[in-house]
Amino acid sequence: MLLTARSSVLGVARDFSVSIVTSEDEVLAAAEGFPIHVWGSNLQTACMRKNHPDFKEGDAYIHNDPYDGNSHAADHTLLVPVFFEGEHFFTTAVKAHQADTGNSLPTTYMAQAADVYQEGSLIFPAVKVQENYKDIDDIIRMCRRRIRVPDQWYGDFLAGIGAARIGERSLKKFVDKYGKDTVRSFVREWLDYSERRCIEAIKKLPKGKLEANQSHDPIEPWVPDGIPVNVKIDIDPDEAIVTVDLRDNIDCIDAGLNLTECTSTMAAAHGVLSCLGHDLPTNAGIMRRIKVLLRENCIVGIPKFPHSCSVATTNLTDIIVNVTQSSFAELEEGQGYAHSNYCNSAAAGVASGKDWRRGGEPYINQMFLMGGGGPASSETDGMHYLFVAVGAGLLYRDSIEIDEQRFPILVQKMQLMEDSTGHGRRRGGQGTEVVMGPRKDAIHILHVCNGLESAPIGVRGGTSSKLGENVRIDKDGKEHPSPAVMVCDLEQGELLRARDQGGGGYGPPVEREPERVLKDVENHIVSEEIARSVYGVAIAGSRKDDTLKIDFDATEELRTKMVT
Amino acid sequence: MSYRIAVDTGGTFTDVVVADEHGNLVVGKSLTTPNNVFSGMSSALDNAAANLGVEADSILKETGVLTYGTTRSTNAIITSSAAKTALLVTKGFPDTLTYRHGGKREPLNLKMEFPDPYIPRRLTEEIAERINSEGGVESPLDVELASEIIQSLEPKRIEAIAVSFLWSIMNPSHELQVGQLIEKFLPNVPYTLSHQLNPIIREFPRTSSTAIDASLKPLMQKHFIELESSLRTAGYEGEFLVSTSSGGIKHVTDVVEKPIFTVKSGPAMAPLAGIAYAEAENLGNDIIIVDTGGTTFDVSLIRSGEIKYTRDTWLNGEWIGHNLGLSSVDIRSVGAGGGSIAWIDSGGLLRVGPDSAGADPGPACYGTGGNKPTVTDAAVVMGYIDPNHFLGGRMSLDTNAAAKVVEEISDKLDMSTEETAAGILEIAGEQMIKAIQEITVQDGVNPAESILVAGGGAAGLNIIPIAKSLGCSQVLLPKTAGALSACGGHYSNIVSEHSASRYSSTEDFDFDGVSKIFSDINAKLDAEQKSLQSRGVNSFDREYFVEARYLNQQWEMEFKLPMQAIENPRDVELLTEEFHNVHFRRYAVKEEGGTIECINWKGRLIAEMDKPPHAHAELNTSSKFDADRTVSAYFSDKGQCQTPVYVGADLPEKSEIVGPAIIEEPTTTVVVYPDSIAQVTAGGHYLLTPK
Repeated sequence: MLLTARSSVLGVARDFSVSIVTSEDEVLAAAEGFPIHVWGSNLQTACMRKNHPDFKEGDAYIHNDPYDGNSHAADHTLLVPVFFEGEHFFTTAVKAHQADTGNSLPTTYMAQAADVYQEGSLIFPAVKVQENYKDIDDIIRMCRRRIRVPDQWYGDFLAGIGAARIGERSLKKFVDKYGKDTVRSFVREWLDYSERRCIEAIKKLPKGKLEANQSHDPIEPWVPDGIPVNVKIDIDPDEAIVTVDLRDNIDCIDAGLNLTECTSTMAAAHGVLSCLGHDLPTNAGIMRRIKVLLRENCIVGIPKFPHSCSVATTNLTDIIVNVTQSSFAELEEGQGYAHSNYCNSAAAGVASGKDWRRGGEPYINQMFLMGGGGPASSETDGMHYLFVAVGAGLLYRDSIEIDEQRFPILVQKMQLMEDSTGHGRRRGGQGTEVVMGPRKDAIHILHVCNGLESAPIGVRGGTSSKLGENVRIDKDGKEHPSPAVMVCDLEQGELLRARDQGGGGYGPPVEREPERVLKDVENHIVSEEIARSVYGVAIAGSRKDDTLKIDFDATEELRTKMVT
Repeated sequence: MSYRIAVDTGGTFTDVVVADEHGNLVVGKSLTTPNNVFSGMSSALDNAAANLGVEADSILKETGVLTYGTTRSTNAIITSSAAKTALLVTKGFPDTLTYRHGGKREPLNLKMEFPDPYIPRRLTEEIAERINSEGGVESPLDVELASEIIQSLEPKRIEAIAVSFLWSIMNPSHELQVGQLIEKFLPNVPYTLSHQLNPIIREFPRTSSTAIDASLKPLMQKHFIELESSLRTAGYEGEFLVSTSSGGIKHVTDVVEKPIFTVKSGPAMAPLAGIAYAEAENLGNDIIIVDTGGTTFDVSLIRSGEIKYTRDTWLNGEWIGHNLGLSSVDIRSVGAGGGSIAWIDSGGLLRVGPDSAGADPGPACYGTGGNKPTVTDAAVVMGYIDPNHFLGGRMSLDTNAAAKVVEEISDKLDMSTEETAAGILEIAGEQMIKAIQEITVQDGVNPAESILVAGGGAAGLNIIPIAKSLGCSQVLLPKTAGALSACGGHYSNIVSEHSASRYSSTEDFDFDGVSKIFSDINAKLDAEQKSLQSRGVNSFDREYFVEARYLNQQWEMEFKLPMQAIENPRDVELLTEEFHNVHFRRYAVKEEGGTIECINWKGRLIAEMDKPPHAHAELNTSSKFDADRTVSAYFSDKGQCQTPVYVGADLPEKSEIVGPAIIEEPTTTVVVYPDSIAQVTAGGHYLLTPK
């Protein structure tokens, strides 16, 4: 899938997932992917069985219905039921974010969509797209008429079907090798085993009820004061259950940021699971121990038709993941994480225009020139290119050269920013700055982001990082900051400067080992000034002959002063 | 001259394989001596000479070709002990080696440690200059500033310099100018320019390979000069050739210029042995080669006689470590070997690895302080390894210690010790099966249609059930399985590759541009061919490759071109057809009529070397053979079985042994599972047929 994808959201951002669902609509196994994306295929197979009770071998279904199990309309999910000797055993689900799904504007994250009609995407509530292993051309033709860059879409469709059919073949062999009864009982055992693993992990946590919140940047004109998100968590090691309650939140809004049942659930579960250890099997067994309470017609719950859920995979989900993870840090030293970058900067926006180098051929694709600092944990510094919380560090970034070959742009800068992290005994990952502009004809960039008015917070004495920004710099060098929903036309000679955020810190900065601070200073992660004022570490020696070192006496003096 | 020598210097052992004029291969082993490689090589040669019954000195004097494989450069990268290297990059992009491609494994793991970039930011300097995607100059090189920066490296005691600018592949003038400035201001500091080493699109892999290459120059140049000098002093007068990561060999003088080619060169030799053995036994040329060591299991693949290559080779961790950036033999490693530790997780499931007892403390049965059950301990418990005959009797094992650690686990599982041991071996086998499936299935190869060649000391313990599970009908286990990589050195050719980047779409093919690329590549190959001819090499072949993708596809796929030049629309049609076919085979989809974008081009020169003939092994000629002894061994479906143990040297050609049985060789043990068959081939190898 990765290697055959056309759109950069698939080939670069790895914005796709594959899972195997049992005939009882339980996720049995999911390949490595965004947690927000991976699960939820159980809701979609249930939808397939409900809408097509006569589904049969050789069928494939396309599903992107945000009101019946999908993450958001831009994710096309292909479902292939797997039969052995006429019996339905599994369904393979391949979900992939498309570069375009026929929205009214050329973007797949349409924050300004008042409802599903204004959003404009074609919605498929489990529609049959293959029968007897052959395309149903009506559906393909509909898509090709409505989706911008139809060849790109069809290439990704082929890649998805290929992956789902490879899964089908392998699963048939699997049932053939072990026998039907063994496979059925293995499925039960495997889910029970996974549940036991989850029970053991939860039993190790301290008991606690946690509550925290964080606001999303204002979205003019719909939510001028921003969107508050409240998360309540009940950790019950005795019963081995973690409950996340998202019901105490505002109703759905008339803009595209409403979450779906799948993404609300999985954002909360993502936050919990990252605190339980990363080695758990990803299936329905562990989800038996994580309860996510949702409300209908809630912005972070179950969406009420026809509210738009165009941006249901990012933004508010990042807040839920971060707030959940950082709440765990309150339990005791060693638990949880700081916040990670909120600002999926405009360097990850959807660019469109015409390429004069190819005779004016139109292009539309998402750019992935982002960093995004990861959160500090009690043991490790944050990753420098996590992107955002739901990105989970999985995304590839674009090669500058490939992007300049593909888009008629010139990138002037892409680098990690000094002093951009939240500080702490462990610091966050660094934020990234990108500066780029068109080489000749104008480019049009659409984008929706967060983190322009709120910074990732630190925990247990760690500090917050800084605000992100998206700024258009005009021909006279004047700066025009952009709001969270950005619609930007860059003419020749104009530049976009996009800065995302570092991650928050964990623990007091004065507890950071001076050797780590020295290394950060040497490598332009932390300036000498911040080393001194925040970490209490004095640096001696010179960069000129590569002899920077710790002034231990001065450091001790500084730190003694800071502690008292 | 009647001998040829192949050496593989690994982290622990140095293997020497001597071939005589009849093609008989004799293995010698010794501990590696990192401070003076020649010393370990020399003891291993003594060991081989003793097995041959001649003096090591006389072998060396009568040897015409010596091929040398080394892990020295690989180790220097892994342990960050290469030269102190500065990296010069285009202004605005100092963090390319930190960002890498982006991405990591384990989405829910936020406590992962990331290796530092290969060259730290503090030794990375930004040079004001910029070329655009068509090779035009957006900003000229600021020569004055560049000169200052280069001179500022001297007080930092920089030992090597890597230069990698954006789009130098389209216009190398800025890199070349900076190269001249380095020669002017720091004449004794070796440097590498990215467009010369690895002219491919994508700044990260190109910069990474440039940084690695420059950093290895001081170390590897010194190493090769010293080693060659020791060899000459010892009386060696023949050719000194070095193994490379592309599965070929090169003259030492060529490798000294581009030492990155020696990285991971040892395992890259194993497939050459695989293909040589399989072809000698007429077993076809679709081959899977596995090599089981103490801690890792390596798999490589040959399809229709062609080795599978990759441009995605990583050291110190996939995606988060250091990328080699060059096309090299695709070797998939999993952490499963004799030392892998078995444990029970919190859900009550038996797991094996990824932790390994390695050589220190080693498996419990070694009696060297190991107290956790390993795969080797399981094999001892099952009776597969005889405690008194391990490594030809050179090391005795503690059966009780093995049983004790396995019991600790079997008690928790409520299974017998033997059942548990069988479970450990089976799970280790499953990980190996997965590694084999990954490399084959991802390339559209059905493992069942391939022959499996198994090397490594521990391969024989479970290769039969592995083959059975994959559906492979036959396994070839060479007599020299314990030194597969070194053996590969005997069957290698001199291989040289040159790449160049040129975008061209099949819709509007750029015949002039691509033909210029071909002539540039050919000019380089011609020069190398000429130099080889002057050294007496006379047989040459050339192959050409392209990395291409469907319109707007995100990643390129490399495949061999069915022609030697692209001159007319018919050639473009053939290229297109081949792309569709390969794409369908690998990914199960193709887009009929789809436009194809060609990105990188590569030419390969293959200079055929003389190879040892395939020996007719000197085997026991009597028609009778007896088991050395009988032991009790455990098999899952049969329980404890009285199992005959044969000594390899006693077995005549074509003798067939039906399992259960065990065959002992000096460097490996073959377990013949019940009803499976082992047959001794004319070459003295074992052809195993799983049942």
